Amino acid sequence: MTRHLASWLAVVALGLSMLVFAAVDEGPPLSNADRAYSLAQDFACPVCQGQSVAESDVVVARNIRREIRVWVDEGRSDAFIRDQLVDTFGEDVDYTPSAEGVTALVWILPVVGGAVAVTGLGLVFRRWKRDADLEATDEDHALVEQAMADRG
Amino acid sequence: MSSVALGSASVTIGAACAIAGIIIVLLGILGYRPRWFADTKLLVGLMTLASVASVVIMERALITRDFTVQFVADNGSSQTPALFNIATLWAALEGSVLLWVLVLCGYVVAVVVKFRNDGDDPMMQWVMLTLFVVCAFFFLLMVGPSAPFTSFDPPPGYDGPGPNPLLQNHILMAFHPPILYLGYVGFTVPFAFAIAALVTGRVGEGWLVATRRWTVLAWGYLTFGIVLGAWWSYETLGWGGYWAWDPVENASFLPWLTGTAFIHSVMVQERRGMLRVWNLSLVVSTFALTILGTFITRSGVLQSVHAFVESQIGPWFLSFFALIVIVSLGLIAWRGDELRSPGRIDSPVSREGAFLANNVVFAGFAFVVLLGTIFPLIVEAIDGRTISVGNPYFDQMTMPIGFTLLFLMAIAPILPWRKASGEVLSDRLIWPAWLGAGSMVLAVVVGARGWAPMLAFGLGGFAGGAALRQVVLATRRQGWRGLVGRTNGGMIVHLGVVLIAVAFAASNAYVRQGEFTLEPGDSAVISGHTLTYEGSRIVEYPNRVERKADIRVDGGQVYEPAISTYPFAGQTIGTPSVRSTLQDDIALSVLSFPEDAADAVVLRATVQPLILWLWIGGIVMAVGTALAVVPGRRRNPIAPTSALIPEPVSVEASS
Repeated sequence: MTRHLASWLAVVALGLSMLVFAAVDEGPPLSNADRAYSLAQDFACPVCQGQSVAESDVVVARNIRREIRVWVDEGRSDAFIRDQLVDTFGEDVDYTPSAEGVTALVWILPVVGGAVAVTGLGLVFRRWKRDADLEATDEDHALVEQAMADRG
Repeated sequence: MSSVALGSASVTIGAACAIAGIIIVLLGILGYRPRWFADTKLLVGLMTLASVASVVIMERALITRDFTVQFVADNGSSQTPALFNIATLWAALEGSVLLWVLVLCGYVVAVVVKFRNDGDDPMMQWVMLTLFVVCAFFFLLMVGPSAPFTSFDPPPGYDGPGPNPLLQNHILMAFHPPILYLGYVGFTVPFAFAIAALVTGRVGEGWLVATRRWTVLAWGYLTFGIVLGAWWSYETLGWGGYWAWDPVENASFLPWLTGTAFIHSVMVQERRGMLRVWNLSLVVSTFALTILGTFITRSGVLQSVHAFVESQIGPWFLSFFALIVIVSLGLIAWRGDELRSPGRIDSPVSREGAFLANNVVFAGFAFVVLLGTIFPLIVEAIDGRTISVGNPYFDQMTMPIGFTLLFLMAIAPILPWRKASGEVLSDRLIWPAWLGAGSMVLAVVVGARGWAPMLAFGLGGFAGGAALRQVVLATRRQGWRGLVGRTNGGMIVHLGVVLIAVAFAASNAYVRQGEFTLEPGDSAVISGHTLTYEGSRIVEYPNRVERKADIRVDGGQVYEPAISTYPFAGQTIGTPSVRSTLQDDIALSVLSFPEDAADAVVLRATVQPLILWLWIGGIVMAVGTALAVVPGRRRNPIAPTSALIPEPVSVEASS
């Protein structure tokens, strides 16, 4: 590490500053059209098979897109729009499973699974490390030399 | 003889051959039939002939519009263009099973040819048994619930509706499904070897080495098939997207995830003899997931843009899936003791440590995608509610996973086996790190904002740098041979992945979409591009009538998004038109031509940066895979490869 210490410090500083700059300086705000497009992807088209409101070309989806656009132009919140759509078309148009009740499991299970996996991996490595530190015996060295000699 | 009779006969012969194959191999295993392998070759030949015949008969029926075949009556049409007539085979369930079986038979023949001298090997008996069982399942599917050759009595002058218009709208439809199937079905071969290894107790590295190239090849086809599917979706669906976390997309992505984990962890087992249970589980999961995916998407339990009409095959696939899982788990449990790995990993900061982390992350990725895909079914079973899981969920859950994978891709290739010192890491990673930082600077300069895409660009540059470093070193050392072989080809694949990751991040983060109502002569501006509507025209084709809108982009070329009406299918779909450059894409689609305004058009324009790089990345991945299956330089079996020594004296000095 010592050899490139300065270089590493510089590269990490540069990367972090770019990251922070990009996070703070938001650039041009989302236009209403873009927000409407993004929202349309978060809802299922109620009569299509596995297509979002943004994808589908059927009349219902187009009408919903238009409604979303109107709500966005009125400055409504995402939550308001969600409630409106769920009230009209039912819970299954919402592509974001709610974090309450049974459906919360879909959010919790991966996090729990991830935590278990990381812990497990850590434990395994610790055990391996504890069992490690075998020294090569003379017999091992002899074997290696034998193999090298056989190879000619 | 009618097509129906001939077709049914060939399907039945195929099924009979597969079942006879099972019996012969079983007799061979029991010792009653020493010449079992010769019989097997014959049966495989016959079975393949039957499969080829059934496909040829169906294609002939489709091309000649033989409406006495129900499948042709339902999916064919005299108006479908020739190319799509051929592709109609895989536009509906029964035909796609025919294609699946054809590919499967092809792989079985390849196995028999490749291992033609191993007839005395007990392992081959179990390989062939497994393959025959899989063949029998699919052939019986065609004899029973998914019979492609049923008869239809067409009234005089009958003409079929043709395939779903979306499936006859783009040339990629002719390639995406067959290539995807080559991938799906290809995993049957490593699966058969894994089962054989478990049964015979030869759970060492032999089966891995034997199937190494098969796995990589199947994986390559699956990868390319998925990319082609995304491309097709982008070019034809007209909403500006290419990946929607649709259940069928997920179903193809799941075996890809476990397969990707496998082709990495295989190397740990080959080198260190570890992770045996894990590797067997991955192979079995990959194969089982292709079956589960087919169940999910073809049985009607989940709705999807890909779902064919509901059919009776659901219980069949579910039973077959259960059989695979139970047999495999049983075998793994039975062989548990012999599977216990002799080795251990010295340090997490080593190649094998990174592979292990990679595998945990890929397994987690697969878990998230599987959970999200089947969760609506689970909730419905528990409390009867119908819910959906889509975009927002998958985006949120998979983003951190993607970042982790990019990071691992950056450091894993430069890590030595066994153990790495900080000095080695620092030496080897410094310029990839600068490349990562450099790409962030470049991104900021061209106006990119937002932490998430920025992180993707940085990690992408870092990972790309690491892969490039390996490619450069290898080619300097070995000339053109530095580009072939698994390791070197793998690095090219990594470069493709980086391209896709960066393009994915950019196109998702900076997509701009607008809907405009334009009169002829009107212009609209989106993301700095001017779109001028010059009027519309009606063009008639044999199978459809198109009303095209002429849109001049940035005062240059004219693009022609259209609305197409397919009278036979009774459907109207949009036909988008895309202007692609290396920098950004403008996808144009006509939403409607309003009836109340004489010649106006409602146009949707989606502008996204770097889309073209998704497809370039896919091609790079395919090329890398092809290079990876070309045999590389043989490693001296006892040359020290996992040493702690720093870099060899310096490559420049030696050249």
